[in-house]
Amino acid sequence: MALSDDELKAAIIEKAKKAPKPQLYIKDFYKCDPDTKPRAIKNMANLLVREGELMFWSSGSTTMYARPDRIKNEEGDEGVN
Amino acid sequence: MAKHDTPLLDELESGPWPSFVSDIKRQAEKNPDCWDILGQLELSYKEKITHWKHGGIVGVFGYGGGIVGRYSDLPKMFPGVEHFHTVRVNQPASKYYSTENLRGICDLWEKHGSGMTNMHGSTGDMVLLGCRTEALEPFFWDLTHGMGQDLGGSGSNLRTPANCLGQSRCEWSCYDTEETCHHLTMHYQDEIHRPAFPYKFKFKFSGCPNDCVAAIARSDVAVIGTWRDDIRIDQAAVKEYVAGNFASNGGSHADGDWGAFDIQKEVIDLCPTECMWMEGGELKIDNAECTRCMHCINVLPRALRPGAQQGASICVGAKAPILDGAQFATLIVPFMEISADNEFENLIDFIETIWDWWMEVGKNRERVGETMQRVGLPTFIKVMGIEPIPQHVREPRSNPYVFWQDEEVPGGFERDVQEFRKKHAA
Repeated sequence: MALSDDELKAAIIEKAKKAPKPQLYIKDFYKCDPDTKPRAIKNMANLLVREGELMFWSSGSTTMYARPDRIKNEEGDEGVN
Repeated sequence: MAKHDTPLLDELESGPWPSFVSDIKRQAEKNPDCWDILGQLELSYKEKITHWKHGGIVGVFGYGGGIVGRYSDLPKMFPGVEHFHTVRVNQPASKYYSTENLRGICDLWEKHGSGMTNMHGSTGDMVLLGCRTEALEPFFWDLTHGMGQDLGGSGSNLRTPANCLGQSRCEWSCYDTEETCHHLTMHYQDEIHRPAFPYKFKFKFSGCPNDCVAAIARSDVAVIGTWRDDIRIDQAAVKEYVAGNFASNGGSHADGDWGAFDIQKEVIDLCPTECMWMEGGELKIDNAECTRCMHCINVLPRALRPGAQQGASICVGAKAPILDGAQFATLIVPFMEISADNEFENLIDFIETIWDWWMEVGKNRERVGETMQRVGLPTFIKVMGIEPIPQHVREPRSNPYVFWQDEEVPGGFERDVQEFRKKHAA
């Protein structure tokens, strides 16, 4: 059975906090709930960006997700919160 | 007054062709930061290594695309390009815009950025080169609120859709490419502005098989206008071409001395499927053999036109990377009606079936054409719910084995794999 929205949010945040690398592909979050469709997980990850729990990190050709406090800004700050 | 010596770059101004070096120097007279572009590039030419770092966390609030972060790795030496982010602006359909709009965009970019532009990027966007992070939000406000325009796609987003001139200028267009492109752009705003996929995804719309946006070469879903009845022939106009009274190719090559027009040599003998011939002074076409190469229609535009039953062929899986093997799209649906009457429902259903599958099966940084190649066309068309047809066959098969699924055989068959593996290890 698919996770509820709140459970899915918590699972995505947990994954983003504990993953070895700070930047994650959207596919990395699919494993948070195999019963939820990939597009629903994408929508939830993007909602978490709007809520400030995650942020986008773009290489230019690929976009990844990260916890704001785990990512180093190119402009020199450790974490951007 | 030049800030850096650039002897290597100066060589690029010595030829008879337009030079980007001259362009940047001209812009540097207005915006001195641009001298540092030339200084850094000169150093890269000397050291044979780039000094750009790209990517990062730059963007505007609520968007996950449209801006590509770019930084110099020598900011103390070249402070003017310490931040040099690229902004992609969604171009209007068919790239129709007024000079007033272009001036507005350029003024905006001189206010917030370097003033340098690239018209257009490969995907079609208006590309604005070089601004600092703190200028992004003010620029975005002015662009959206002052100009009524929006950012395009980048990263793992749906990239900015692009289309040819379509029925606005071209009598060959077999569907309304502008309406289709506009509708899908609006329908998929979330996918354009926020990352949605394992990697980039593009669709492009060409009105006829001339494919003026090169959809078949570059887009994950290429929607290319076609017809399913016969090429329409005006035999009286054919006679005028043969008599030399009408200029072939619409007069496009009239400045050369090509001699008298020869329909046999210039049209019939060049038909790739040899499906044309002259009979009793009339041009005949075996339409079942026509592969829509458009050559005859291009050469004889007053005599030949696409058929009247019009729609589009859908090809899937093109990519055009610089380093790693370009690939044309593969024909999946030979004919689909493309109509605003049902809000392009069949095309949208087709696209979303691909997305649902690719998002699950595609690997990170794998274009849908690569996923198709990995799983094979038979698997892909099964996923799409499409029956195999002769048009799917690229070449005679070289694998002698035929594999059947139980549902494909009358009565089916049952096989206990575990029992089989007891005697035959994998």
